[in-house]
Formats: sequence, structure tokens, C-alpha cells
Amino acid sequence: MRRDALALIAGLIFLSPVLYSIWMSFQTSDAYYTGGMEFTIDNYVRAIGQFGFARYLLNSVIVSGVVTLAGLMVAVMAAFAFARFSFRGGNLLFGAVVATLMIPSHISLIPNYLTLAKAGLLDSYAGLILPAVANGFAAFFLRQYIRGIPVALDEAAYMDGATPLQVLWRVIVPIARPAILSMGLFIFIGEWNNYIWPLIATGDKDLYTLQVGLARLYRINPGEGFLDWPLIMAASTITLLPVLAGFLLVERHLVRGITMGAVK
Amino acid sequence: MSAITLRGIRKSYPNGPQILHGIDLDIREGEFIVIVGPSGCGKSTLLRLIAGLDREAEGDILISDRRVNALPPRDRDIAMIFQNYALYPHMTVRDNIAFGLELRRMPKAQRRAKAEAVAEVLQLTPFLDRKPGALSGGQRQRVAMGRAMARDTSIFLMDEPLSNLDNALRVALRTEIKDLHRQLGATIVYVTHDQTEALSLADRIAVLKGGHLQQFDTPDAIYDRPANMFVAGFLGQPAINFVPGEALGRSPHLTAGLRPEMLRLHASQPDGTSVQGRILMSEMSGAEVLIRCETTLGTMSVTCPRKALPPHTASFWIGYDANDALWFDTATGTRVAG
Repeated sequence: MRRDALALIAGLIFLSPVLYSIWMSFQTSDAYYTGGMEFTIDNYVRAIGQFGFARYLLNSVIVSGVVTLAGLMVAVMAAFAFARFSFRGGNLLFGAVVATLMIPSHISLIPNYLTLAKAGLLDSYAGLILPAVANGFAAFFLRQYIRGIPVALDEAAYMDGATPLQVLWRVIVPIARPAILSMGLFIFIGEWNNYIWPLIATGDKDLYTLQVGLARLYRINPGEGFLDWPLIMAASTITLLPVLAGFLLVERHLVRGITMGAVK
Repeated sequence: MSAITLRGIRKSYPNGPQILHGIDLDIREGEFIVIVGPSGCGKSTLLRLIAGLDREAEGDILISDRRVNALPPRDRDIAMIFQNYALYPHMTVRDNIAFGLELRRMPKAQRRAKAEAVAEVLQLTPFLDRKPGALSGGQRQRVAMGRAMARDTSIFLMDEPLSNLDNALRVALRTEIKDLHRQLGATIVYVTHDQTEALSLADRIAVLKGGHLQQFDTPDAIYDRPANMFVAGFLGQPAINFVPGEALGRSPHLTAGLRPEMLRLHASQPDGTSVQGRILMSEMSGAEVLIRCETTLGTMSVTCPRKALPPHTASFWIGYDANDALWFDTATGTRVAG
């Protein structure tokens, strides 16, 4: 009972900034600054209508969604190859993948920018998405997970008539689903919260993601020295909710171990 | 027509020792072949080469007279049962059994019917919608057998399929496998290190040691006329007694092999050749008793019907007939007579 109470208090401490910002987003600006209480959904209406957050939300969903799906696809195939096949230069290649984890992301900003500029991909969805698709950490993490799956399952599938790709999609991927979903959530949240790359890769307002749009809200507020915090909090809540919903949707899959009974 | 022919199979792993040293086997259609040998003798490697799970080896592998060395497993049309079952944990029993059929694009209704028919034979019908995690060891092994059977192939490879099961289940499933072989008429290549399985299941046994084929013959021939001392010692429970030749009045360059059941226990010195022994240990195994004795010829094992056991005394006489013995060249280990 005492542990439950402690957990509740700790949870509330972690949640309090979020709860406070959600509460603030439903206040009018006047009421907030005068210390009163006046419920309104006007901040959401303005964020979506006047300040283009519907578009930013769509952009974020497209960019994060495609980065997650494409990134997982590439990482799963690379992980399967590294985990299951020995080929000339395989160890060297895997070493190179692991080495990318040691490079701070900001170092690759300028090379990526120049490459995409030469390819004419700045100010496009492709420009926002492509640099994030190859994810060394995801390939490394999934490779380690796949190595833990008994090779006998692959072999059984080969004997059943499967090709290597069928082994991957029909046997390995379903078994590695908890790891793949965890990694997918990780990639999605990372990309959703990515601010720097979308900021430099596009100047087109129609391609802004939520993070860039949120940052711009600070600059386009009316009045000098006045920040419309309830509006900013409404925009923040719009930014937060899809990730929260995604997490709640995926969370139950993350904890389920399904290799039980595969082999003795 | 031969089902499987192996010609001069040599296998070694990169920077590793040579595993197989030129194996030749000719397996006929419908035969039940058991490959037996101690751990590390190369028997599983040989099976994996036939399956196509390992493909880098010297020599020729022919299946139905077609050279298959370069073919992946899916093009060899053989089914395999693994030691650890290797069931797909995310699929139900039905889907496990039907997976191979699905990969071969059999229509859904047809493969469903096939899976159900196979499950019926293996008494798995009540478990069709369960996942492997909810099955016992014996049931899982049956599913693994079902998965192979559903394929309607004529060659089955089995890699120590019963070694993870308890003794009672092992004996029961052994009988089932023998029955299945009779029903299906398929060629089975079965790998085990258990000599009882080998003797009870096989039409012919291939005995391997250190990557060399020692003998390939029927269980009777292998038991009665082993090619060498290794084969004689490996097959037979309790193990054969080896006695120096001069103890039986023969050349010191020979070694006699006396199976425990060839020896007779006597309370007093019998007529004919015998040696006095002191009991070290006795083990009752139902109708028979295994007695280990210390004699001037060394430690010997004798089996004796429990009812024919002499009254308990400190020492026995062990009678034997040198004509029953198997004779081996002591230096080479090869059987020379008997």
C-alpha cells in the first residue's frame, strides 16, 4: 500500500509539467495572466487554424511515419544479414555500422545538407526523410536480438521450402516483433522530436514539422515582451498527444515474450 | 533406385579440423537408416549435408540419382525433424504443420484438410489451435513429426528427435516412428547416439567414429559380426567384454570379445573354460540382472536371467566358450574371426 502511494506520488511528479501545460492550454490568455480561470478551446482552434498546426501535424506524421517504416525495413534486413549470414567483409561492414553510433549527429548535419542540396532534395519530404532512414543503432540492436533466436527455426523454415526472405518475414519478424516495435517506437519518438534537421533542411512553411512550428510560435506572438503561453501549450499538447497515443497502442506488444516453446 | 547416395563426402570447417573423411553410403528407397556414433563423430554434419543446411563439402550427394550438392534445402524435397523440435512459436499447431504447404502455394482449404488429417494420425487434433508454448515435450515432438509428414515427401531426416524426451515417452515415440515408417514407406535417415534406438529402429546402421564410416550393415550383422573393436564396444548394452587372446589360449596379438549374455554364472567351477570372479556390483533390470565382476581377466560384465542367479556367495565362476567369442586383431582392432 505504501509502495503504491509512493509510485503515485512519483508518477504525479513526473506528470505534473505535462498536466500543468494541458491545463494551461484550456485557459484564456487573459485569465492565465490575471490569475483567473476561464475554460476555452480557442487556443486549439487558433493553433490549428491560424498558425497552421494541422499542416505541421500532417508533416510530422508523414516524416516520422515514413522514417519509422523505412528505417525499420532497412534495419531489419541489415540485422538479419549480419546475424545470420557470413560473407566476405561482413565483420568489417558491421564494424562500420557500429562506428556510426560514435559519430555525434550534429557532425553529419553539414555533409547531409550539402549532399541533399546537390541532389536538389532540400525543401522536400525526401530531404526530411532520407538522412534518418539508415539507422545504425536500430541495425545493431535488432541484430543482437535476432542472434538470440534459435537458428534451428530458420533451418526448419528452409527445410519447409522457404527462401531467405520468407524466413525473415514469416519467421524472424513475427518472433522479433516486441524488439521491432520497441525500436519502431524509439525511432518514431526520436524523429517526432527532431528539431535541428527539419529546421535546416527546409525553409518552406508547408513542410514545417511540429517542432519547427512550435519554435516559431515564440516569434510570431502579438505584443512586445508578451508570450501567449496558453496558445503555446495548446500547440505543445497537439505535439504531444499523437506520441502518447502511439505509445499506449504499442506498449502492450512490447512486454510480451513470444519465443516460449519454440525449442526445448 | 537409390534414394540417397553419398560418394566420398569430406567436410571440414574453415580453420577447423576435418569432420568427415570420405563417407560412402548407398541408401535404398524405403530404408530406415540409422547413423550412430559418439558425440562429435560427424553424424549430424552428415545429415545437414544431405539436408542442404550445410553445402560446402567435397564429394557427391545424390538424391533420387540427381546430384544435389549445390541445391538449397527447398529444392531437395526432403523433410527434417530437429532435435529441439524447432516449432514456430508464433504459429498454432495447425499453421506449423501447414507452413511448408503454404510455402508451396497449396490452396488454403486443401492445406487445412491435410494438416487436420496429419494431426488425426498423430493424435494432435485437440491441440490444433494451440501454440507450441502450450504443449508438452511429447506433443511438440509429434507436431514436428506432423510438419514433416504433411509435406508428402519420400525422404525424412531425423536429427536425434527423441533425445529431449523422458524414457517412457522415448520408447512410446520410437514405436510410433517405426509404425509411421511402415505406413508411409518413406526413406528415413535417423541420427542418434543411442545404440538402443539404432538397433531397434534401423533396417541398416551406419556406425561413425571420428568422421570415418566404421560399418554399414543390418543391426543383426553389426551386433553379431562387428567390423572392429569400436563397433563391437559401441553397440550392445551392457558393453562387450574384451579379454586378451592368451587368456583363452590364443595368440597374444588377438583380443577376444565376449558379449555379457555369452557368459554363464556358476556357484562352483563348471566343466570347460571358466574364470573365478568376485562380484563388484549388480544391477537389476527387470527379468535380467547385470553383474560386474572382478576376474583375473579384468573386470567383466555378465547378464543373467534373475531366476537363474546362483545363490548369493562371495564369488562366482564365469563359464565361457572360446568358440562364441569374436576375435579381433589387437593392433588394428579389426575383427578377424568369430
